Amino acid sequence: MRLSFDQPTESTDSQGKPFANLCCSNFGVISTVSGPCSMRLFYTALLLLTTPWTLLQASEPPAAASETAEITDINAARTDREFHAIEVYPTELTLTSSRDSRRLLVTGITADGQKADVTATASISAQGDCCVIDADGFVVPSRTGKAAVLVTVGQLTASIPVTVNPLEEVPVDFIREVNPVLSKVGCNQGTCHGSQSGKNGFKLSLRGYDPLYDYRALVDDISGRRFNRSEPNQSLMLLKPTQGVPHEGGFLFDESSRYYSLIEQWIAEGCRFDADSARVISIAVHPPTPLLQRRGDMQQLSVVATYSDGSSRDVTREAVFETSNFEVATVSKNGLVKAVRRGEAAALVRYEGNYAAAPVAILGNREGYEWQPAEELNFIDALVHAKLQRMKVLASPLVDDADFLRRVSLDIAGITPTIEEIQAFVADPTDRVAKRSAMIEQLLSSPAYVDHWTLKWSDLLLSRRKAITEKGVWAFRNWIRNAVATNLPYDQFATQLMMATGSTYENPAGNYFRIAREPKLVMENMTQVFLGTRFNCNQCHDHPFERWTQRQYYELAAYFADVGRKPIGDGDEIIFTRANPEPVLNPDTNQAASPGFPFNHAGHIDPQGSRRKQLAQWLTADENPYFARSAVNRYWSYFLGRGIIDPVDDIRASNPPSNPQLLDALTQDFIDHDYDLKRLIRLICNSATYQRSLTTNKWNDDDTINFSHAVPRRLTAEQLFDAIIQATGAPRQLPGVPAGFRAAQLPDPQVDVAFLDMFGRPPRESPCECERSSDVSLGQTLNMINGPTISDAIIHPQGVIASAVKSKATDKQMIETIYLSTLCRNATSAEMQRAIEYFSSVGNQAEAAEDLMWALINSPAFLFNR
Amino acid sequence: MTFIRWIMLVCMTTLIANQATSVAVTASPTVNPGLAEEPKQESADSISYYRSVRPILQRRCSGCHFPGKREGKLSVVTVDDLLTGGESGAGYEPGAPDSSTLIAYISGEKPEMPLNAEPLSDAEVEIISNWIKGGAVDDTPASLGPQISADNPPRYQSPPVVTSVDYSPDGKWLAVSGYHEVLLHSTDDNAGVRRLIGRSPRIESLAFSPDGQLLAVAGGSPSLFGELQLWNVADGRLLHSTTVSHDTLFGVCFNNDGTLVSFGGADNSLRAVSVETGELVMQMDAHADWVQGSTFSLANDHLISVSRDRSMKLTIVANGQFVDNITSITPGALKGGLADVQRHPSKEEVLTVGADGEPRLYRIFRVQERRIGDDFNLIRGYSKLPGRLCDVDFSADGSHFVCGSSTAVAGAALIYDTEYAAKIIDLKDVTSPAFAVAFRPDGTQVAVAGFDGMVRLFDANTGTLQKSFSAAAGIDSSIPATAASN
Repeated sequence: MRLSFDQPTESTDSQGKPFANLCCSNFGVISTVSGPCSMRLFYTALLLLTTPWTLLQASEPPAAASETAEITDINAARTDREFHAIEVYPTELTLTSSRDSRRLLVTGITADGQKADVTATASISAQGDCCVIDADGFVVPSRTGKAAVLVTVGQLTASIPVTVNPLEEVPVDFIREVNPVLSKVGCNQGTCHGSQSGKNGFKLSLRGYDPLYDYRALVDDISGRRFNRSEPNQSLMLLKPTQGVPHEGGFLFDESSRYYSLIEQWIAEGCRFDADSARVISIAVHPPTPLLQRRGDMQQLSVVATYSDGSSRDVTREAVFETSNFEVATVSKNGLVKAVRRGEAAALVRYEGNYAAAPVAILGNREGYEWQPAEELNFIDALVHAKLQRMKVLASPLVDDADFLRRVSLDIAGITPTIEEIQAFVADPTDRVAKRSAMIEQLLSSPAYVDHWTLKWSDLLLSRRKAITEKGVWAFRNWIRNAVATNLPYDQFATQLMMATGSTYENPAGNYFRIAREPKLVMENMTQVFLGTRFNCNQCHDHPFERWTQRQYYELAAYFADVGRKPIGDGDEIIFTRANPEPVLNPDTNQAASPGFPFNHAGHIDPQGSRRKQLAQWLTADENPYFARSAVNRYWSYFLGRGIIDPVDDIRASNPPSNPQLLDALTQDFIDHDYDLKRLIRLICNSATYQRSLTTNKWNDDDTINFSHAVPRRLTAEQLFDAIIQATGAPRQLPGVPAGFRAAQLPDPQVDVAFLDMFGRPPRESPCECERSSDVSLGQTLNMINGPTISDAIIHPQGVIASAVKSKATDKQMIETIYLSTLCRNATSAEMQRAIEYFSSVGNQAEAAEDLMWALINSPAFLFNR
Repeated sequence: MTFIRWIMLVCMTTLIANQATSVAVTASPTVNPGLAEEPKQESADSISYYRSVRPILQRRCSGCHFPGKREGKLSVVTVDDLLTGGESGAGYEPGAPDSSTLIAYISGEKPEMPLNAEPLSDAEVEIISNWIKGGAVDDTPASLGPQISADNPPRYQSPPVVTSVDYSPDGKWLAVSGYHEVLLHSTDDNAGVRRLIGRSPRIESLAFSPDGQLLAVAGGSPSLFGELQLWNVADGRLLHSTTVSHDTLFGVCFNNDGTLVSFGGADNSLRAVSVETGELVMQMDAHADWVQGSTFSLANDHLISVSRDRSMKLTIVANGQFVDNITSITPGALKGGLADVQRHPSKEEVLTVGADGEPRLYRIFRVQERRIGDDFNLIRGYSKLPGRLCDVDFSADGSHFVCGSSTAVAGAALIYDTEYAAKIIDLKDVTSPAFAVAFRPDGTQVAVAGFDGMVRLFDANTGTLQKSFSAAAGIDSSIPATAASN
């Protein structure tokens, strides 16, 4: 190659123009990058490689321009609507204890059916003397009897019947009432007294997960220093938060607050503790899926906790609220959601170790939007379209056959189609749906399918010779290949791994326990891959965003405590079940954890089974809410570029799915069809949703999570390497493997190919999907422009160009071949014309062909799966 | 909380007895004046420091700028503190808010203070500014409301939590900690109860002098001040009141001849004061956490202290020099802090108890070189009690000791045989957390008290309950007859 980064010559200037235009036409399809296309070639190439990549990587789209012109005055947004009716939630109230209070939510409905929360502006008054309305607008009982609450919004009124049952004067309960206050005001948060060593000698359990620990900290640590029964208001635990004495944690509430009187009463009543107090088993947020029309709109949430004794209570004031994305919506500490801009976020709610998330959707200005019925090829499309309609989004059209073929080949088989395949597919006159469906079948039964998914699972199972020797890596690869080739049901795949015993050469599944050699690590890998959750956080502390606790970490790890490993020579080991499990010590108690599941489900578990048997049954049961779901979500992300829950291996209550109905339906289908992965792939690829184009329209250009259009995905290291080899026609020779081996067929990352590492091949040390990097670096850019992998391949004497030159191809034929072999499509007539002009300006066909191929390989259309 | 307490934070101030009783402390709560409504009624030039400025400083600034922390060397809890200022100079210039450091720090586009918190509101800044403009008058009242004193004794709605008990050497008195006072219960039923009412609302530890004439009391007010009191038992007179640090004091102990009293503090220090003068004679700062117990060696030349930092340290009395960690210093060798230590009456051995529930007997002076990971000084451990151990006391001859423990929801107390760890008497009638224990000097009786405020006396030989009474019995008819339930 003459054209290189560090040797710009005079000749490049004159050659720059046609080239740049060729390239711009390629990427102009996917983005609106503008720029002078008449720059010198090497600048243009650099621009192509850097700018568009960065743009494509950007996850947050720029806010729609219409947003800025939208209502800026929040009050205006709230008062400019005329309501024709109001709704009150709940529709009736029953109060049973003197400290039982309830928030009402008031919704106004406009003539055209739009709803808006008017809780803050509604006038709420009690009728009769059975209840009163407190300063926060809560209904509080005052005496036994029946009454009503009158809600007024403008001229509209609603009456809510209230029943006050005989009021029991119950003493303040530490677990039920006091500890939640400590959580709400933040005493036990990680940065304060909930930290590992507490603060200033006072330590509480993190976010109050251990009420007895907290009770002890308050009551018997330093012999009762923190309360004063003789004069409750002189108690340290009241003086500190009111700043009656200096408190580094600041002022948290004053002497007239509910929290103050609650704690004061608890102390005056003798600091009681009822270990059998009913625990919260779930919390429910209302409204469950807030939909806000415009910026500045607000929605009050209410939170009701259900207890193990069947009772329930409004805990809105004690629940802790957060937003998943403050750029879209904020949530105040009292549970008031405020719309910031169009988009989706989750209002995260935490109360007493229970978590809930209310997906908040903000429509913004969608004037002129009208849903256009779109083609539905299977149930996926109907569910995706329902969400698009809700968010007022319009889907993009489907891609053409050539682009579909490249996309689906890369996604199912990891390779780009050959020139012959492209020509045959495009020319095939069969109906589009049938033709594409047939291609999907063909790819699913291709050898490359086995290579591609073996590579994925070798990554996830961390197969590497450092851990299991080279022979072990090949054996494990063969085991995985066999599972992929026979389409081993996913639950059996997991079970065989969990239950593996014997020589790892004879039963390579046992390598699972050689790669992770201790129970904790096996458990962490298992939870991340097969449950899509991150248990590694709670090794040291309770999971910050989930219900998982440190205790559960060790209890779950204990299921792998009976895995024995015995070397038997030749690098092999026997995996066996130990009679005496090695203790898994919980550092908190310094005692061996006994096996226990972090959650129970109705699936069958053999109580007499070995620990691993029980674990495998628990893991793979249909009833396990994470197992099938995490697999389906993970596979979805491989095809659509993003999980329905994303990241795919961080499933938790506070990371809700963007389309729960879709995920549920896919999960159920997967379970109903015996965990058939090929079926799952077939479903996804046959959907219109999968086949959508990259192009966006006015109504979906800011959609990043609802799958209304395709997103470009950079080819993985192996795909890129193999695609370059295929496009150039250079022979494949990778170190340490037979000639002809593709990068996707390599057994592990210890096969040294610098190009693959540079483009993000995972080292297989962590089961996180994030280990495979799709980052773009300057090194990659320079390597693509100037590196030997590409230039050597392009000019190879057995390559596509050399062969075409040898067979005396015309310029037109040469250009056609190059477009097909790189971008997997025909050149457009404009592209063809410019290329022909360029060829004649260079004068040397081979040289011009090399330039063209080099430029196309460096274009986003090649580098990305689009 | 009342502000008058704050202004009494004067380190190591020794007050003689009659002064101390007159500097009484308010016990009744004073509700802070509201922030919002009060200032509006004031004209700009007559802002009250006490009603308007103090609450702002207290809520927004005092968490970091109080005498116990003094970030930037500044305290804001008194007008004097504020005027003195900190690293950046005087806090304000009376009459000139615009050239006052305080105003510069809290106002402007992005105020420097409060650090990492919401800035003060414009109204709040204006209040402070106007107060400075008006001359920054300190209108803090000299005293507020009824103060607890001998003339206005504490009243009990329920029995106080008992943190410490001790028998007088002649066995005639049982000193029991109360609220703002020590209650001297006569062991002779007819002699009634005497009240030693002092400045400290919270009593942490008390001990009679070897001759029984004095009672040393360690206490204070959490997060405000620590105080050591020395009382004349015969006439109930306060001989010395020594204010130390910014939090309560713990683990008080007399030396053998009654000339020194040692105690620990929340400032991680071990101290000793002269009984005669009340003056500080020794201080040791090698602990990393609160010092909760102290005891003198048999030869009187060393002090042994235990701390929440899990260590037991040996210190030379004469110069305060740290000598040795008596316990193992291997991380994880001990769990939880140590709460109390007591020396054997006739040997250079100490018993220590703490959060792990196991009493341990150690020799004070090591007989072989320390090696990493050793615990050579340990003589023996005793069977565990549930929960954390709070207090330990030897019998006069050292043959037995009594221990109390708490799980917060329950308590236990045991009498151990010092030599034969197996021989144990379980004081089964202890059901509430036992924070305080004492062996009667004649060896016949032990007293156990704690969370429920009841004092229980047991036969030391049989473990049977002999008597049970409220810590506050005999002083106020309004006290409920039964203990607070748990």
